[in-house]
Amino acid sequence: MSMVRRDKLNHLPERFPVFCQWEITCRCNLRCVMCYTDCFNRPDFIRQELSTPDILRIMDEMADAGTLELCLTGGEPMMRPDFFQLYEHAIHRGFLVTVFTNGTLITEVAADRFAALRPHRIEISLHGLTKETFERITQGPGSYHRCLDGMRLLIERQVPLTLKSTAMTLNQHEILAIKQYVASLGSVGYKLGEEMRPELDGGAGPFYYALSTQALALLNRQDHDLREASFQLDQTESSPCRSGMHKFHIDAYGMLQLCSGNRDDGYDLRQGSLQEGFYHHLPSFACRWKTPATKSLLHPTINHV
Amino acid sequence: MNATTVYARHPDYVQRDVAGECILVPIRRSLAEANSIYVLNETGAAFWSRLDGHRSLQDITAAFLEEYDVTTDQLQRDVETLLADLLSIHAIEEVAVVDGPTG
Repeated sequence: MSMVRRDKLNHLPERFPVFCQWEITCRCNLRCVMCYTDCFNRPDFIRQELSTPDILRIMDEMADAGTLELCLTGGEPMMRPDFFQLYEHAIHRGFLVTVFTNGTLITEVAADRFAALRPHRIEISLHGLTKETFERITQGPGSYHRCLDGMRLLIERQVPLTLKSTAMTLNQHEILAIKQYVASLGSVGYKLGEEMRPELDGGAGPFYYALSTQALALLNRQDHDLREASFQLDQTESSPCRSGMHKFHIDAYGMLQLCSGNRDDGYDLRQGSLQEGFYHHLPSFACRWKTPATKSLLHPTINHV
Repeated sequence: MNATTVYARHPDYVQRDVAGECILVPIRRSLAEANSIYVLNETGAAFWSRLDGHRSLQDITAAFLEEYDVTTDQLQRDVETLLADLLSIHAIEEVAVVDGPTG
């Protein structure tokens, strides 16, 4: 008869829906230049997004299926008027909830609600350390100070917080300074992302701001942690993709997908159950990064791009 | 350990069954336990489920002695350890001390 404290589960079946990333909306109050969801931040698409009852029902199905970690993202998830209804339902169902947000909508009232029912983690995008750089990326006047205010409100309440930046041509000169600034905040984590994705409608706009391989390598060489993280990423990307085994993605319209970066196939959770979709449809979804069964796993040659 | 004490599961903990494991998730977690979950083994989960705010410890342990192949001494040691663990994370609370069997 015993109880142990852990930070992760040890013995999961080969295929089990333990982690969900859920893009609950493509709405956003900012227009970040490299955003891949903003093309659907339009009334005709917003009208098609999942309703509150739909999301609550799917969450309940996820809880029954054993999903433990739930990441709510967007767009800007807090743009949904029902955001806290969804968030608090998720907490009460026992999910470890992570929220990806731009931080600009975190008022004192919102911060108090996060502090009352704490998330596993909140991740705020901090793409610049100066107002000029930050707002050149977000294209939102006043967003810099609102983001810093949101961060401060969470830190004051000891809400678990991670800040992250996407390295691009517009902010590469500030990345190391951002990292140093975050280190000065104490218990706040930091992540640097390098990935640019095509827009959901196929547009290539974000790539206009992508750093060259050489520029990324130069950036990573300047900092021990970034160098290590980049090395780890290289290792991960040369391994066969395991999306759909323990992790899955749901888009704003209720389509169950392998991951955020692969929406080629989907199962409509408005029409069927999560159990049905995860165990009977997801395994058949194509992923160009999954190593074929005949290929030696010791020498994978298919890499993420 | 007072055998006549009645404990109840604290509503700030949610019990989850994930891939056959019984997990306690604190919903009002501190920064220090932001990444923590608590995993009960099979008998720990059975014990936890019986802390219902009605049955006393002596009633629960009596039922355990009938159901599981365990000595009284071993069960008492295990119960004391688990109770201390659950109390330390505020997953249970004492709700009463009764005079006799609670049925």
